[in-house]
Amino acid sequence: MAVAVPALLLALWEICSRHAIVSPRYFPPPTTVGWVLVDGFAAGDLGTQALVTLTRLGFAFAIAAGPGVLLGLLMGMARPVRDAVEPYIAFIFPVPKITLLPFLLIILGVGEPAFVLTGATSAFFQIVISTLGGVETMDPRLLEVGRNYGARGARLFWKVILPAALPMIFTGLRLGLGLALVALVAVEFIAAKSGLGHLVYRHWQMLSTPEMYAAFALVGALGLLLTRGLRAVQARVLTWQEEIGRL
Amino acid sequence: MRAPDGRLAEHWITVGSPILLLAAWELASATGLLREAFFPRPSTIVMHLRQLAADGTLWGHTAITLVRIGWAFALAAVLGVGVGLAMGLWRRLRDGLDPVFAVIYPIPSILFLPLVSFLVPPGEIALVVTTAVTSFFLIAFTTTHGVHQIDHLVVEAAFHYGARGWRLFATVLLPGALPFIFTGLRLGLGFALIVVVAVEIVAASRGLGALLWLSWQILKVEDMYATFFVIAILGAGLSYGLAALRARLLPWVQDVAAP
Repeated sequence: MAVAVPALLLALWEICSRHAIVSPRYFPPPTTVGWVLVDGFAAGDLGTQALVTLTRLGFAFAIAAGPGVLLGLLMGMARPVRDAVEPYIAFIFPVPKITLLPFLLIILGVGEPAFVLTGATSAFFQIVISTLGGVETMDPRLLEVGRNYGARGARLFWKVILPAALPMIFTGLRLGLGLALVALVAVEFIAAKSGLGHLVYRHWQMLSTPEMYAAFALVGALGLLLTRGLRAVQARVLTWQEEIGRL
Repeated sequence: MRAPDGRLAEHWITVGSPILLLAAWELASATGLLREAFFPRPSTIVMHLRQLAADGTLWGHTAITLVRIGWAFALAAVLGVGVGLAMGLWRRLRDGLDPVFAVIYPIPSILFLPLVSFLVPPGEIALVVTTAVTSFFLIAFTTTHGVHQIDHLVVEAAFHYGARGWRLFATVLLPGALPFIFTGLRLGLGFALIVVVAVEIVAASRGLGALLWLSWQILKVEDMYATFFVIAILGAGLSYGLAALRARLLPWVQDVAAP
């Protein structure tokens, strides 16, 4: 079933496109798209563009992860920090981060720093909120037991608080990475002149649809790989947690 | 008297910190510490906000964006809950659609704009359908999961008491899945706002996203900040408003906080 339905859909598309039941100009046969993918990788162009997007994603994630986890932990453990910072988080978290792009573009100029930072902020807020949630929802009994056994300060943090919050931190990192990819592809689609998002936009404008679908499929594969891959890592590394972050 | 004092002190930080920041910003921009070209004073931004509101520009764009979100959300909600319930109830359907969804879901919704514009008439309909895509998947996913997490014992008990077909669905399965459906709807609405702004930036000449982008292109920085503020208010209103609505309408339903 899991293989049959997608295969069936693709076959149906192939036939409809070949016999011009749907316009092959807008919906080229999947095999054509497949060959474009192969050729694109052989010529190195697709690989280069994918690498551009991945590099941006890597930088964005690296910028967001450390500070995000740190701020989330601080907010969870120090009440004044939380009170001071929470209004900003609550205000900015529901805002589409793509709206920050024009601000970053005027402040930093059109270029990589503005693109990458838009992706980074997208991840940052998610990581902060998940981390805070991890500290907040930990079983208070764990804290008590830790204290009763004499754990204080740094020891309490490393031995009790951090392990308890770790599943949620990891979920935050995973969701953050996904959000950063979404934001970056949107940025590429809108403003950048390179990357997979731009590739889709450019080929849409030129109506070179096989190339457009190829780039589209590549983004899908990338997203799938990241979400599924990280979920597998999470399940393997954090074996003591049950199914947190299924959604 | 200590406890109330403590509460007041906490409140002061939460209220005081933004006020302090705004005051510092105002001062820094006024004295030239921050470049006013990039960081106009908050008071100037408020002035522009009032101006935009007074001449009706802001209301027009906001209304357009809201109408788009409304249509997209309605579309995503009806289809998402429908497909989600069907996938939750029929194992075969779920097995078949799961891999298709898994591949499509992580694709950033803005990329669907070209595809959708091939499928439906370009313009308003294409914008709305593109906006609905991600919300649809999100709602369908959470609804399916909602049906699946229902305790088997409960279903079996209902079955033994003679609940079948429609009765089983309406009295056991639907109420059981409701918290998840609601979470899906809340997340879906949030996503609709995110996507509509992006879509408006790319492909619309009206709406808040378009206004924001236009303001940047002609470097009306104050209008950019004003528009951003309105979008932020909208985002807060949608996400916190819906949570409040749930608390009032479905007080027995727990919001399943998706991490």
